Amino acid sequence: MAAPSMAAALAASLPAPSAAPAPATPTYEAIPPSMSTLIDVEAEIPLKYVQLDGLVVSKILKHSCDSTSSSPVGLLLGIDLDGVLEVSNCFALPHHSGDDDDKSAKSVARYQASMLRSLKEVQGDDNVVGFYQASTLGAFFSQNLIDLQALHHEKLRHGGIVVVHDVSQTARGNASFRAFRLTSAFLDAYKKSSFSTASLASHQLTFSSIFEELPLIIHTNPLLSAFLGEFSSVSPDTAPGSASVSALPPSFSVLDLNSGGLTKNLEHIVDTLDTYRNEEGNLAYLSRQIARERAKADNYVAKRKEESAAREDVTRLFKIPPEPSRLESMLLLGQVDAYAKSLAETTSTGLVKMYSATAGSV
Amino acid sequence: MPLGPASSAIHIHPNVSASASAQNGPKTPTSITLHPSALFSILDHYIRRKEDQHRVIGTLLGTRISDTQVHVHTAFAVLHSETSEQVAVDMEYHRSMYELHHKVNPKEVIVGWYSTGNPDLNTYSALIQNFYSQETAPHQAVHVSLDTGVEEGQQPGVRAYCSSPVGVFPKPENCVFVPVPVELRFRDSERSGALPPSPLTDIDILQSTLQNVVSMIDRVLVYVRSVLSGETKGDPAIGRFLMDTLGASTDDLELEKGGFNTRLQDTLMISYLANLVRAQAEVSSRLALVGAS
Repeated sequence: MAAPSMAAALAASLPAPSAAPAPATPTYEAIPPSMSTLIDVEAEIPLKYVQLDGLVVSKILKHSCDSTSSSPVGLLLGIDLDGVLEVSNCFALPHHSGDDDDKSAKSVARYQASMLRSLKEVQGDDNVVGFYQASTLGAFFSQNLIDLQALHHEKLRHGGIVVVHDVSQTARGNASFRAFRLTSAFLDAYKKSSFSTASLASHQLTFSSIFEELPLIIHTNPLLSAFLGEFSSVSPDTAPGSASVSALPPSFSVLDLNSGGLTKNLEHIVDTLDTYRNEEGNLAYLSRQIARERAKADNYVAKRKEESAAREDVTRLFKIPPEPSRLESMLLLGQVDAYAKSLAETTSTGLVKMYSATAGSV
Repeated sequence: MPLGPASSAIHIHPNVSASASAQNGPKTPTSITLHPSALFSILDHYIRRKEDQHRVIGTLLGTRISDTQVHVHTAFAVLHSETSEQVAVDMEYHRSMYELHHKVNPKEVIVGWYSTGNPDLNTYSALIQNFYSQETAPHQAVHVSLDTGVEEGQQPGVRAYCSSPVGVFPKPENCVFVPVPVELRFRDSERSGALPPSPLTDIDILQSTLQNVVSMIDRVLVYVRSVLSGETKGDPAIGRFLMDTLGASTDDLELEKGGFNTRLQDTLMISYLANLVRAQAEVSSRLALVGAS
């Protein structure tokens, strides 16, 4: 579905035939060799990195701050060119308090279609390349995100990407954006929807191998850079007495010694650990049940064998429950790890700040 | 925080006399703030314009804090065409786009419109302003005119206007655009997104901030030395500010003496805990794999 429009977009971006003799007879020129490697209809050039436009950054930031939902989601638009996925625009998706899943999914699809149509009319990009999601403290492992990404994987070129924005990191003055894709091992297990222990072992899946991270750079177009440069510059010859003329004064919030949010971060870890323990309890209970039922069945078979008449279907007599999915517990571990990681990072910065604050006085 | 070159325009002040505001109904906006994402959208729209388009226009969405303050949060492009004889704005497009935005963020309403390029105001501006005034009634529509600065001799900048009818018999194509001060405004947490960053670590940001502080101290030092040597006349106000800043001693900081060690222990403890949790999580996930065999 995405491929033909992609090809058209690529064709449009090519330089027009320069020396066409007469407009009546169109001449078809060969694609210049410098561009021929970029023509990639089948999405064969692997993605090297993701390039996020300044507009996208500010839109995601705004949406994450404004949104009432805990994890705001939006779509990323752009194009992939010679291994670089250029994300040039995005829009927010309406948030539905999911009482009616089917209905809300339909209305989101309708919203998406009409937004794309509208953007196309004003020469905007209308090629979906992935989606973004805001998270707190680096913990983004959720069933929703994985479902959406797996859905995108089938529809989009290169399987689509997800850009995760960390709200709490940004609040500390460091806008954090990371780009991810699902690994092929995980997708394989997901398609078979088997997350039993055996399947996990054969795919070598842990929480750290669900996603693969793509390098991400932020790009501002020259016009925007010029504009921002104009606003954030203070002319050096300004006397100290005159008021700062910059429209973007520098911030010193990172110098704040109280690296706030530690308590919150700890709480998150403890909460997630609790949930994880519950989930583990469930899993253990289920595995015990499976073992019990299986033992019963085995006994029965053994007995029947003794009577040498094991003709009956054993599975019909004993309901051995299917092996529980370990996906949820794996995701929870991922959450715990992410929370702990951001905690470790905060404390290490905190230590540096503490020592530098006392450097003069000791 | 002025956005753009200094101007000598006289702005309306909010304390207009009671009688004037009573007969005019809603007051005229006296200050406009612009969110970076709206600014970025406008610039993006300008870059994507067709070759024969001299300027692009679009709708501004935002909130009205009070009668006189307008916050512009979002901007979206609207189709329009201008020839020497006529101007056309695709209202249908504008309405449907507004509906879409309204679904995501119901708090934002139409507050006005933007345009880019030179000349920033003409007869058509008045007509478009008239159309948007109907959309924003009973409030006044604001017009944000953005100079991209791509033409030589042009300073990039943003100007904002509200309008008032002029003439004995007010006609839609006649109006006076009154300049309104405009500022770039964003939440503190959005600052890092307003400046073009590359993904950095916390330590990098700390370093650049400290360098910033050092350069500021250098600037102050140069000034103080020149005052001491009698080259420049000291400004008492600056002296006061400097005394206040330097007088803020670190004595009351909890880091002093015992506070430092306690804090250090706490931080280290949390750091160990965090790393321990990570190690446990890793071990646990590996164990889940081993369990099968």
